Amino acid sequence: MNESTGIQYNDLPDELFTAAEFNEQTAEEVGFSNYSYWRSTLRTFLKSPLIRVMLIVVTLLVAFTFLYPMISDIDPYSVSLSASDWNLPISAEHPFGTDGVDRDIWARVWYGTRTSFILAAVVAVMQVGIGVILGSIWGYNKRLDPLFFGIYNTITNIPSTIYLVLIAYIIRPGFWTIIIALVSSGWITEARWFRNRILALREADYNVASRCLKTPMRRIISRNIVPHIMSLIIMDAALTIPSSIGSEVFLSFIGLGIPSEWVTLGNLVNQSRSSFTVYPFQMLCPTAILCIITVSFYIIGNRFADASDPKNHV
Amino acid sequence: MREKIFEARDLEIQFNLRGRVLTAVHKASIELYSNETLAIVGESGSGKSVFTKSFLGMLDKNGYISGGSLLFEGQDLAKLKTEKEWLQIRGKKIAMVFQNPMTSLNPVKTVGEQIREVITWHFGTDKEEAAKEAVRLLDMVGIDNPEVRYKQYPHEFSGGMRQRVVIATAIACRPKILICDEPTTALDVTVQAQILQLIRQLQKELGMSVVYITHDLGVVANVADRVSVMYAGQIIEYGLVREIFKDPQHPYTKALLESLPQLSGRDRALHSIKGSPPNLYHEIKGDAFAPRNPHAMKIDFELEPPFFQVSETHWAKTWLLHEKAAGYRRQLAEMPEPPEPVLVKAPHTGDPLLSVRGLTVNFKLGRREFSAVKDASFDIYPGETFSLVGESGSGKTTIGKAIMKICHTNAGDIFYEGKKINHKLPRKELTEYRQKVQMIFQDPMASLNERAKVDYIISEGLYNFHLFKNEAERLKKVSDAMHSVGLLDEYATRFPHEFSGGQRQRIGIARSLIVVPQLVIADEPISALDVSIRAQVINLMNQLKKDKNLTYLFIAHDLSVVRYFSDRIAVMYKGRIVELSEAEELFAHPLHPYTRSLLQSAPIPDPDLERGKQVIVYDPSQHDYSKNAPFWSEIAPHHFIWANEPELEQYQRELAR
Repeated sequence: MNESTGIQYNDLPDELFTAAEFNEQTAEEVGFSNYSYWRSTLRTFLKSPLIRVMLIVVTLLVAFTFLYPMISDIDPYSVSLSASDWNLPISAEHPFGTDGVDRDIWARVWYGTRTSFILAAVVAVMQVGIGVILGSIWGYNKRLDPLFFGIYNTITNIPSTIYLVLIAYIIRPGFWTIIIALVSSGWITEARWFRNRILALREADYNVASRCLKTPMRRIISRNIVPHIMSLIIMDAALTIPSSIGSEVFLSFIGLGIPSEWVTLGNLVNQSRSSFTVYPFQMLCPTAILCIITVSFYIIGNRFADASDPKNHV
Repeated sequence: MREKIFEARDLEIQFNLRGRVLTAVHKASIELYSNETLAIVGESGSGKSVFTKSFLGMLDKNGYISGGSLLFEGQDLAKLKTEKEWLQIRGKKIAMVFQNPMTSLNPVKTVGEQIREVITWHFGTDKEEAAKEAVRLLDMVGIDNPEVRYKQYPHEFSGGMRQRVVIATAIACRPKILICDEPTTALDVTVQAQILQLIRQLQKELGMSVVYITHDLGVVANVADRVSVMYAGQIIEYGLVREIFKDPQHPYTKALLESLPQLSGRDRALHSIKGSPPNLYHEIKGDAFAPRNPHAMKIDFELEPPFFQVSETHWAKTWLLHEKAAGYRRQLAEMPEPPEPVLVKAPHTGDPLLSVRGLTVNFKLGRREFSAVKDASFDIYPGETFSLVGESGSGKTTIGKAIMKICHTNAGDIFYEGKKINHKLPRKELTEYRQKVQMIFQDPMASLNERAKVDYIISEGLYNFHLFKNEAERLKKVSDAMHSVGLLDEYATRFPHEFSGGQRQRIGIARSLIVVPQLVIADEPISALDVSIRAQVINLMNQLKKDKNLTYLFIAHDLSVVRYFSDRIAVMYKGRIVELSEAEELFAHPLHPYTRSLLQSAPIPDPDLERGKQVIVYDPSQHDYSKNAPFWSEIAPHHFIWANEPELEQYQRELAR
């Protein structure tokens, strides 16, 4: 009754047409992709040559700022009384020249970058950390909405310059003052951003399931929510770094930042301002380094955000 | 012989995914004749959608046709490259209706404009003429007041109406072929029946050929002239609809039909297909279904079978049809059916485990407040399976959530073991309650934490209720729970994305059962699962119910499963329970017109029964409650109904008959 379409199939051994053993385990094997979220994120992230270059630049910069004090014996604070050493142009001995009191700008740029990096990193960690903690409390308590929205509206609607200036007046300018000033204005945006994430995720089935199992809120946040948005948190912290460096420069520039005897990028730009028309390189060199740092961090942060979206993992 | 208008020959489609090449469709062929309806049946991942999308050049960016041809009007569509070439075909000659009408319309344009655009775009008709044509089309797809509706936006349409609009856009160019990709899966059963009827009627009027892509064999029985069954990217059997349903040859087709609850007796376990459907990453050797087929032959693991002809129109790709397999076939036919466990019916007497009295839940939508649940009352007795059935938006899930204490209640009481639970409970009592009542979720893809290992997911309850003394005991409990749902120990260290839908649902079941609950609320636990594993999960739930003495509150929209599964059924309509009765009684004597319409519109996987069916549309305005207010009363023992006096009398007469 049945007709075989392929004649070559007729000389198959009869033995093959008997029952085979059934194996429950192979029936369950569906085959799965060896997809891993982090691996795919990194792969997508590193695919672009621009990013690879940026990463190398940033790594070298960071490494160099921390290594420089060890490999060089030039004191960025040493001054000279002889006017012949002042405002020297770019030379092999002084790659960026010297300033009005014979301080080596090359050395000062690296010391300054280091201070700025440390400052930005501390601000980023504190801001995102406080934001995540308060944001989750906010996201899980609807009753706190009026309070937090009040704070949010107050802080974001008043130009940040005003209270940065105020804080800097109230507390004596210094390293920690800047950090307090920046964190106290930045945390609320982080908290709000994190709250929105929580609101979007807390009604997801897997979080409702955890709630039905009476998993405490603390663990829902740490095991269910934070791992899901870890990449976004990293991106957020990465983007905080250039903006904190920028704010520090701005505050120092208007004279409210870290006291001028410290070397920071902000102070360098500020101090070279007066002689800009005569010795432009004194301002241009630190500014160039500043631009490289902020631009690379922005690009890296944004590209990382793109790469962390599973939709782009193809 | 009818005219052949389209043919896909040995089509192979591949995808580039993260540096790997995956084959989604392996040498699939179909032929399509004029004026016929072809159904392509398959589970998710079988490649049915990808296959048909390639007819329109709509593969995702990383997919491409790597072999074979698509012959249409003397042209090979597989050779088309540019969008411009495709636009001559897509929408104009071959059109597609997508699954979800909520996402396939533009929300910021009026529906009329969207249809008009299609017409002007393809034919260059001037605006006024096209607008008239659009109104005609709206009328054609059964939308009342087409002139008024023309000016409305998609959000002013219900789901079923939107799907009608989508169909209107699809037929705007009078295509030769209409491809419907699960056109009714996102819709309610009663609406589904209407849409299927509409497509059939349009097909007749316009002389189209229709290709249905679906996993629902009931829909296939309703619409198809011919059926192609797809499994793991291959077409494994095709034939006329009666041949496939009455005389299936491939073991997969056979098993699929046998596993349907509609066709199974109430008192036996369902015939279930073992294992899980393979996905793209699974390498196929020999017959794709062999690893899941307990009666596979040795050759099935060695060589890929060719197509064997069964009749003029019926072909199947299985070695069973080889002449040398004749002996084995006889052996199979004589094999006695394995004895299957018998289901026990629970008596609903004694003290109820859960009582719901006059439950009302209101939600605010903007400034408007509406009741998702109105005055619902029922009891659930220990050991029974109680089902809530209704369409989306009927409030059935809200009741489940209220019992779960993850949703507020506005009025009424919920008692568990006689204690009121719908108010703020002291910490200790809440902990006890949480442990006693557990939930199984609808969507296994969304209900597991993607970033945690299976081991943690299953032990979550153990940690929360401190149900273990030491690590060894915890591991033992996790392993026992995994065995009880048929998962292997080694899976504990894997992440959820490594599992198929059915396996994930079993992980979810293990997670809720490991804390030894008494009442389990199952919110549509199988509606997101593939057909071949639904029976597995139902059997598993029944088995666990017997072993662990569970009580189920089963929430569903699919009546066929409910009938098979439950002791008592409550039917909900727009937040109100309209009828409540024992399962068999409800099916034998449905009284409320809504229950009747619901029962009648559920598709039956039998082409003979399904073809002659007339759709009853339930219209709530048929009740005249202006003089006599309706109330909740027991019309027969254990049979409750929402009706007023005159209706009750009428129902009583019907019952007596």
